[in-house]
This record gives sequence, structure tokens and C-alpha cells, in this order.
Amino acid sequence: MSASAASLPWFLRVLVAFIRRELTAVGDYRSAFVIRLFGFGLAVCSLLFLSRFVGAAVNPHLAVYHGNYLGFVVIGFLGTEFQQVGVSVLAQRIRMAQVMGTLEAEVATPAPPWMVLGAPPVYEFAISSLRSAAYLLGAKLLLGLDLSRANWTSLVVGVPLIVAAFSGLGLLAAATTMLVRRLNPVAMVIGSLSFFLSGVMYPVTVLPVWLRAVGHLLPLTHALAVLRGALLIGAGPLELRESLLALVLFAGILAPIGAGMFAFALRRARVDGSLSHY
Amino acid sequence: MTPDPEIAVENLGKTFEAPAGLRDMLRGRLFGPPVTALRDVSFTVRPGEIVCVMGPNGAGKSTLVRILGGLLLPSSGRARVAGIDAGAGTSEFRRRVSFVVGDERSFHYRVTGRGNLHYFAALHGLPPAAARRRADALLARVGLGGAADRRYREYSRGMRQRLSIARGLLGDPKVLLLDEPTLGLDPKGARDLRAFLREEIIRGAGRTAIVCSNDPSEARAMADRVLFLEGGGLHAEASPDRIEAELGL
Repeated sequence: MSASAASLPWFLRVLVAFIRRELTAVGDYRSAFVIRLFGFGLAVCSLLFLSRFVGAAVNPHLAVYHGNYLGFVVIGFLGTEFQQVGVSVLAQRIRMAQVMGTLEAEVATPAPPWMVLGAPPVYEFAISSLRSAAYLLGAKLLLGLDLSRANWTSLVVGVPLIVAAFSGLGLLAAATTMLVRRLNPVAMVIGSLSFFLSGVMYPVTVLPVWLRAVGHLLPLTHALAVLRGALLIGAGPLELRESLLALVLFAGILAPIGAGMFAFALRRARVDGSLSHY
Repeated sequence: MTPDPEIAVENLGKTFEAPAGLRDMLRGRLFGPPVTALRDVSFTVRPGEIVCVMGPNGAGKSTLVRILGGLLLPSSGRARVAGIDAGAGTSEFRRRVSFVVGDERSFHYRVTGRGNLHYFAALHGLPPAAARRRADALLARVGLGGAADRRYREYSRGMRQRLSIARGLLGDPKVLLLDEPTLGLDPKGARDLRAFLREEIIRGAGRTAIVCSNDPSEARAMADRVLFLEGGGLHAEASPDRIEAELGL
């Protein structure tokens, strides 16, 4: 059995222990839960407002989505959240562990660093997926979101690719955070650019052609194309092949570069002693 | 025949390059002036021996144990601990060598002592049932059996130190590196913990240990030999009962 295959059960044990630990601490975050609930209510109101007023303005560009602006913008927000999780979680966890002082103790155990640092993103992606499903269900029940055309096969193919592409960005962001010891400049740049150029709130067709071209260099643009194509149009994997292929490329390029940079950042932390301080 | 040393340190040096301040950056430098934390340190430790590394604050004690624990890479020289190069950073090294971090921040405040140990047991690769057994046994052994289900933030300083020791023993290591294990404890608590560490945790299990401290009474109570660091260099070596005479402490 290869070393990586042998370490999978070990990683699952770490993941389960991590989740148990997180759930133990959840009781202490009641106020955060209330704030989140309030945020959810606010988001529902914003979506209603946007679908009534902004939706009408961009409606001519939404023909391909059957004029469904509500679905368009809900998926825009969900895709943004996925990107946020992918790009920020690992970096945030590392930063927090450095500040709290747990990182050195965790890295001092026999578990390889990827195992120590891999559990939080897996957990957060799982939570984010559940939350996204709940939001879609909520939008369907409360706001009448039409998902009758959804193609679930495209979703099953697309979501892992989206996660892989964002995880590659996340590794880059985490490495940068470790190196500069500041919270995530990569996430800030990617987040801001994506919000304007990836078609979160409005279709990219409203943008000038040259800005559209820039938008195609961002993974979120293709992630949203896949999610909207699958959920709103019912497009199959073949129809979505361009965006799926782009995501494969992003994952294939960003993941190894991110992993290499992250290994370098970890080694650098062992040189400058920043595992235990910040 | 003399057994191979459990710890062999040769010409170890460590220089830190602090990030540049604004003035240095304006001059086009990425780093500030280098700070030498260790210089040309060499010594060996026999299997089963307890060595106390003493010295004033900033002498390089914590840097030395962090290098020996594989958490920091040396700038020069080399260190072998439990038969493995400390810089290798392998899982097997971290199984054989345990760095007992006395840092209070190294546990999760909102989680119980038991919960914290379960998590670290998973990082040691123990299956859930074995992790529970091991954590329970260690909690009992360090005297925290009755407080295992209290949150870490409710622990006293002494309890936190004991939990650190329990964590350090999860993998049953051959070598223990203890950085100021009784820091901040009251005199009786410190005395009891030293006796417990020396007799049960180190001697009783045939382990080798390095204890960092700047407290002479700690050295006398625990060590077979004392190394004195000053300004990053190995300044002197003495037996614990000769600390006053030879090191002037």
C-alpha cells in the first residue's frame, strides 16, 4: 500500500477529531450564530430588493437564464461564498493558529503538515456545501426560486472541480499569509476582482469586451457559469465543457504551484521561527 | 563499549533575520540586522541522561530545544536526536522526540482537557478507541483524571503544565525536550512536578531528557548534568551540585 493510501485513514481520524473539537466549541459562539441568522434575514431582503429593481435593469442580458435574476444572484452569492471558503479558510486558520499558539504544537506531532492543515478546509467546504443547499432550499421555498430545470449530473461533475480550483488559490493565499504574516493579501485581491469581473451580481455580458476577457482569467467566472448553467438552464457537462475545462486548468496549474509555495512557506517558518509567533 | 549518544550536537548555530523596519526598507533591505541566537554549540547526551540547559533570558535555550525538536532549522552545524537528523522533519523523528511546549496558548481554550488530548492523539495517528484509552491513562497519570472534562480555560497554571506533559507523552517518545516545565508554578507545585517528571516520566520509562530552565533549584532537582548557555554560546558545564561553585549561580 502506498504511503498516501495508508495515511488516508489517519487523515480521516484527524478530520473527525477536528470536527468534534469544533462542535464542542460551537456552544460558545451563540452570539455569532444569532448574528449569522440576522445576516441571513438581511440577505433575503437584499435578494428580494435586487431581484425586483436591479433584475429589471439587467433583464435583457438574462435571456439565457430565462430572465431568472433571483436564481442568478443567489448562485452568484453562493459561488462567492465557495470562493471565500477556498481562498481564505486555510490562511485564516494558519493565522489564527499562529496567533493562538496552537500551530507549533500541532506541527510538532507526527502528523504531516498537510494533514494538520488539511482538516479545516475540508470541514469548511462541507459546511459551506450544506449551507448553500439550505440557502437554495430557502430561496425556493421563501422566494419562489425556480430550480425545475436543474441538471444534477453537471453539479456533481462541476462542484469538485470548483473546490479544487479554489483550493489551489487557497494554498497560494495560505503560503502568502505565512510568508508576509499578514492576513491574506491574495484573498483580498482575488475577492475584489472577482466580485466585479466574474458576474456575481450582473451578467458579464454587461461589461466591455476587454473586461470580460480579464474576468475569464478568474476561477469564479467559470465556477458561476457551471453552477448557473447546471441549476438554472439544466445544461449538461458537454454544454458546459468550456467552463469545466477552464476549472480543470485552474486546478491543474494552481494546486501544484500553491502546494509548492506552501511547502516553501512552511520551511521558511522553520527557518525564521514563525511557527510559534507572529 | 560506550553507547552512541541519544543527542549529538555539533557546532550548532542559529542566526535570525528579523523583517526589515521602515528605515531598512527605504534603503532597499528586506531584513533588519541579523541576530545571533546560538553560536558554535556542541555537546552530547547519553541515553537515559537528564541534562538541564540553563542560562539567562535570551541565552538561546528555547532556540536550542526548538532546533532539537525539529521545529526550527539551524543556520549552521547539525543535531542528531534519537538517531535522526533534527532538520529532517520526518514523522518518525516527531514520534521519537517530543517537544513539551509549555506555552499556555498551545491548547484550545474552549475545549476540555480530554477533548484537547483526543485531538492531539488523532494527530499522533491513534485510532479513536486507542486515543481514548491513552488520553484517559495519561490524564490519570499526570493527576488530571478528575478535571479531564473541565475546559482548558478553567485550568490553573499547574494543570496546564501537566496537560502539556500528558500531550508530550501521547506518542511514547524516547526523548523529551522540556522548555521551562515549572514556569509560573508555586514552590510546592514546582517541587512536586519536578519529582514526578524525573522519577516517573523520565527515569521510570528510561527516557532521555533535556530540560531548559533558568532556575538552579530545577537543575538540582532534575538534572544529571548542567549546561550553561550565555550569549548564544556554551559557556560552561557542571554537575548539579557544583552549580554554585562552578557557574556562580
